[in-house]
Amino acid sequence: MAGGEWSHNGVGEDGAVEEEERGSGLRLPLARVKRIMKCDPDLNLASQDAVYLVARATELFVESLVQESYQYTVHSRKKTVSRRDVDNSIEAIEALAFLEGALE
Amino acid sequence: MAERPEDLNLPNAVITRIIKDALPDGIAVAKEARSAIAKAASVFVLYTTSTANSLAQKNKKKTVSAQDVFAAMKEMEFDKFIEPLQESLEVHKKSQQSKKEQKEAKAKAKKAEESEKNTSMAEVVLMDASHTCTEIGVELQNTETMD
Repeated sequence: MAGGEWSHNGVGEDGAVEEEERGSGLRLPLARVKRIMKCDPDLNLASQDAVYLVARATELFVESLVQESYQYTVHSRKKTVSRRDVDNSIEAIEALAFLEGALE
Repeated sequence: MAERPEDLNLPNAVITRIIKDALPDGIAVAKEARSAIAKAASVFVLYTTSTANSLAQKNKKKTVSAQDVFAAMKEMEFDKFIEPLQESLEVHKKSQQSKKEQKEAKAKAKKAEESEKNTSMAEVVLMDASHTCTEIGVELQNTETMD
């Protein structure tokens, strides 16, 4: 996990500027989120608030996906969340259909 | 501009942290599960961006706004995110505002400090000039008596 321990101190993979950009408990670096967003060729501009919301929504998404997967972990009486558990969640939940075939 | 593959992914350490915090103590996550979740997160960013952008364009706007992201959540069937997102945005806006004010106050203080510095430098220069005058005075006296 190179650089992992330092991320939240601002001396992360993206440098000190990340620390300033994060606020209100946001953990994902805004610059990185913005970079991914820019991959969309149709995207012109996004407001700062929009970028913030996408980042925050992604955090909520990760939490949600993890918690859904965990239901399957419990069901299988295991103590480790497996890839299988994640796949099962994706299959079972309508809103996660966009992930089908996208995780290879 | 060369794009390294990791640039388009979210930082592993941060994803891991979020995953851990969302699970009870003592539950581990397999490496393959973690990377699948990380990948899913990136795909989510793209999907949200695309959806929000479509909505903005539908309203003849060139800039994706906060409203577009909220509308995208609804469209993507992530309605449950809307309320927590609204709250987070409130807090975020407040902290941005106070950061802005802090920055302005700092800039103002620095400006004041610099102008004070200029004043004291001028005083030092004046003092030096008066010392030189005194020295010259003494020399002249000495010269006179050397006759």
